[in-house]
Amino acid sequence: MNDDTPVQNQPSGMIPPVDFTTFMRNYQDMVFSTAVRLVNNEAQAEDISQEVFLKAYQHYDSLQTSPTAGGWLKTVTTNLSLNHLSRYRNRWRFFSEFTRHDDGESEGAEVEFASGDDFLADVDADERRVWIERALEKLPDHQRVPLVLFHFQDMPYDEIAKKLGVSLAKVKTDILRARTALAQILTRSGTTHETFNA
Amino acid sequence: MSRQNSEKLEQTIHRTLRALPDRRAPRSLEARVLAAIAAQQHLPWWRQSFVHWPLAARAGFLVGSAVLAAAFVALCLRAAGGAQPAAVLAEPLALWTQIRGITAAIGDFCGTVLHSIPSVWLYGAIAFVGCMYATLFGLGAAAYRAFFVQR
Repeated sequence: MNDDTPVQNQPSGMIPPVDFTTFMRNYQDMVFSTAVRLVNNEAQAEDISQEVFLKAYQHYDSLQTSPTAGGWLKTVTTNLSLNHLSRYRNRWRFFSEFTRHDDGESEGAEVEFASGDDFLADVDADERRVWIERALEKLPDHQRVPLVLFHFQDMPYDEIAKKLGVSLAKVKTDILRARTALAQILTRSGTTHETFNA
Repeated sequence: MSRQNSEKLEQTIHRTLRALPDRRAPRSLEARVLAAIAAQQHLPWWRQSFVHWPLAARAGFLVGSAVLAAAFVALCLRAAGGAQPAAVLAEPLALWTQIRGITAAIGDFCGTVLHSIPSVWLYGAIAFVGCMYATLFGLGAAAYRAFFVQR
């Protein structure tokens, strides 16, 4: 992993990166995070990130001075990740939707948490990050993908439904179940204070 | 879950997820991308995609292709001995008529056979194929759930 301090967002002041390597260093964490949260596999996310930057290199003349380069990269990463998921998982999707995930994700389940508080608020930031990433990884694809698109990419429900080729009702249900499952995992984590060997 | 609780959950999850920092990209990513770019750049121009060809090469290719196509058409016409286009097309048209005649005969034969089979047999065969399809589909789904679903 990188030891350099990552730059997560578009550098302020609109200073164009001096070369493509700098441009890549500025955005590689964002691109990789977007891909890995969608495909849930680090090796595949690295392949997708590589493809994204190769495309970016082809359009570098316009991207290097563009204030929307971050958005462009995020969109391309999202599309490539969704293409990857549909290419390899379409054949199983029908069967997957038969599968019930009964580990505490029922739609009507109540989750207790203090209003206004974040989950694991009393846990160290690094440990908290690992807990949340692990909790996301535990979600099944059909819940994690729309959840990530909604909360990380700010994509509205109808656009998610269109992108994933499923009904609007299914997207809403899957996201609600994903939130409930995530909350339950995180609430359990907060009460037991287990530690990860990250 | 009540609407109020659902909204509260949405806000809390949103806040929690948005507070999450980006994950560090693997160290190998930068080297991989730069190596892939270098490999692309070291390819000779004729092995790169057409849009990366030099302008002169692209123009030359288009002109050359047009000349070749024109030469091919001229050769075909000369081989036909200066015949009229209708005469050149007569042979393929005759072949096409023959093919149509053969397919029509096969269609008539199939129709006759189909009409000679009792309809009960036909419905039975369709039902049998349907049952087999449903059975194999169910077995496939059961096998997937039993052996492939890990969650």
